[in-house]
Amino acid sequence: MTGIALRDIRKSYPNGPQVLHGVSLDIRPGEFVVVVGPSGCGKSTLLRLIAGLETTAEGEIEIGGQPAGHLAPQDRDIAMIFQNYALYPHMSVRENIAFGLELRGMPRAERRARAEEVAAILQLSPYLDRKPKALSGGQRQRVAMGRAMARKAGVFLMDEPLSNLDNALRVAMRTEIKELHRRLGATIIYVTHDQTEALSLADRIAVMKGGHLQQFATPDEIYDRPANMFVASFLGQPGINFVKAEQLPDTRGVVGLTAGLRPEALMVHADRPEGASIEGKVILTEMSGAELIVHCETTVGRLVVASQRRTLTALPERIWIGYDLDEALWFDTTSGHRVQPPAESRSM
Amino acid sequence: MKRERLTAFAALAVGLIFLSPVLYTIWMSFQTSDAYYTGRLEFTFDNYATALGQYDFGRYLLNSVLVSGAVTLVSLALSVMAAFAFARFTFPGGNLLFGAVVATLMIPSHISLIPNYLTLAKLGMLDSYAGLILPAISNGFAAFFLRQYIRGIPKALDEAAYMDGATPLKVLWRVIVPIARPAILSMGLFLFITEWNSYIWPLVAVGESELYTLQVGLARLYRINPGEGFLDWPLIMAASTLTLLPVLLGFVLVERHLVRGITMGAVK
Repeated sequence: MTGIALRDIRKSYPNGPQVLHGVSLDIRPGEFVVVVGPSGCGKSTLLRLIAGLETTAEGEIEIGGQPAGHLAPQDRDIAMIFQNYALYPHMSVRENIAFGLELRGMPRAERRARAEEVAAILQLSPYLDRKPKALSGGQRQRVAMGRAMARKAGVFLMDEPLSNLDNALRVAMRTEIKELHRRLGATIIYVTHDQTEALSLADRIAVMKGGHLQQFATPDEIYDRPANMFVASFLGQPGINFVKAEQLPDTRGVVGLTAGLRPEALMVHADRPEGASIEGKVILTEMSGAELIVHCETTVGRLVVASQRRTLTALPERIWIGYDLDEALWFDTTSGHRVQPPAESRSM
Repeated sequence: MKRERLTAFAALAVGLIFLSPVLYTIWMSFQTSDAYYTGRLEFTFDNYATALGQYDFGRYLLNSVLVSGAVTLVSLALSVMAAFAFARFTFPGGNLLFGAVVATLMIPSHISLIPNYLTLAKLGMLDSYAGLILPAISNGFAAFFLRQYIRGIPKALDEAAYMDGATPLKVLWRVIVPIARPAILSMGLFLFITEWNSYIWPLVAVGESELYTLQVGLARLYRINPGEGFLDWPLIMAASTLTLLPVLLGFVLVERHLVRGITMGAVK
């Protein structure tokens, strides 16, 4: 098991913009870290820097406690799974899986055995002699995983490995990756733009935006105590509602703060409820299994509410949205950073 | 159905038109020269025996195979490596160097004839296999063509191989070359045929008849007249047939690799 330390990594391309503005991460041995962020946030570049496929402009990379910034990819004891799998088209599944072992000088019999062992784990045994073009998307994905696993590398890097799969397969592979992590105990750094993947897979999530690390914490911490408005809005589906304190009826006097209200913390009522509430009009509703997502136009702007479907009967056009400021997250409106709840809200 | 047969018939007819000179060459090569000049039909293998025996075409054939084979192998090796470097690495002066390689395509080979001759004369390499082979091994077109092909191979495959522990040479040999095989074989065939057909340089660079290639030997046949003022056409045609057969054979051997594309399934 190998830990990874990144210190103040900066990277810019020649004649291009700077893509990383001083990112530092301390990844513990055996940890499953998901790096998440919108397109162009620098997450893939960060991964490629760890792999050695890009060279560091500034900053330090340590792998297993050793400085690794100067090492070529083949000297880093790292396996990588690519978004498009990058299987060798001219080799069979067996050869694809064993190629890394061959390059490292493992004897033929031993690498055959290892390839078969890995294939068995990934349920690829029937396909060992096929070429990649004769495999389905999910099978190719597995071969890519097998190729990484066979080497028993200390660190696995995964660059959006599931983004080319259809939804059902993606969910299934997600579970498999998590089981695999438990079985291998290797350090995994997983890059994705899908917040669901991040929340469900990670031991810790690193949220990035515009080349800056926004927050690095456990999924619970990230969801319950996001560092800023960007993190709060990026994680969670449907997205969080932001309402300026000045607009809320019960926080008059609080200036410069914004309340973040998760859709599941709001309630839709047909009649004015007991506690704090906002009047609004239903714009549209979306069914999502157990929940009904209600989009409302209110006096404080558009709000999205996630209600238990069973508790709702037919919605009238005019409704009331009940909320509890104890469950709100508070942010500084100008800087976007999360702050302590204002005294006025607690008194309610 | 009727339409298809018509198409097939038309294709056959066009094919025969293209083939007719070759077929006529082969036909004539089996006639005796007396029969040819008097219009009778009389078949013989003597023309081949004469070409191989009296005129040393066996030797020329060997020379052509050696020279064309060596040129093909060496220039393929060089241009594959150059193509890989130009396609995959950025290095100082790389673009300039590539520009220079492309620029060589615009120089007609006849312009370099005299400089090459003088250089090799100074090096004492005229009248040698090296003198026949060396000037032909750098081929800007091959490097350019293969670079374009390699650029079409997803770079993620190189990166996967590096992650698997490969060195750049291993990446080239184990990943790029197998994937680019159809292009490399096509280029090989092209280089072989070009060198096989090359006439001016072997004519200039070599004076001794043991080093003649087939093309030079063939041209000699026009000048060594057994009789006065008359050409032994059936003999020339037999020599021509000997000249074209190996190329035809090479094409048949390589042809089935040319069409197959094998990048499918590498990346989604």
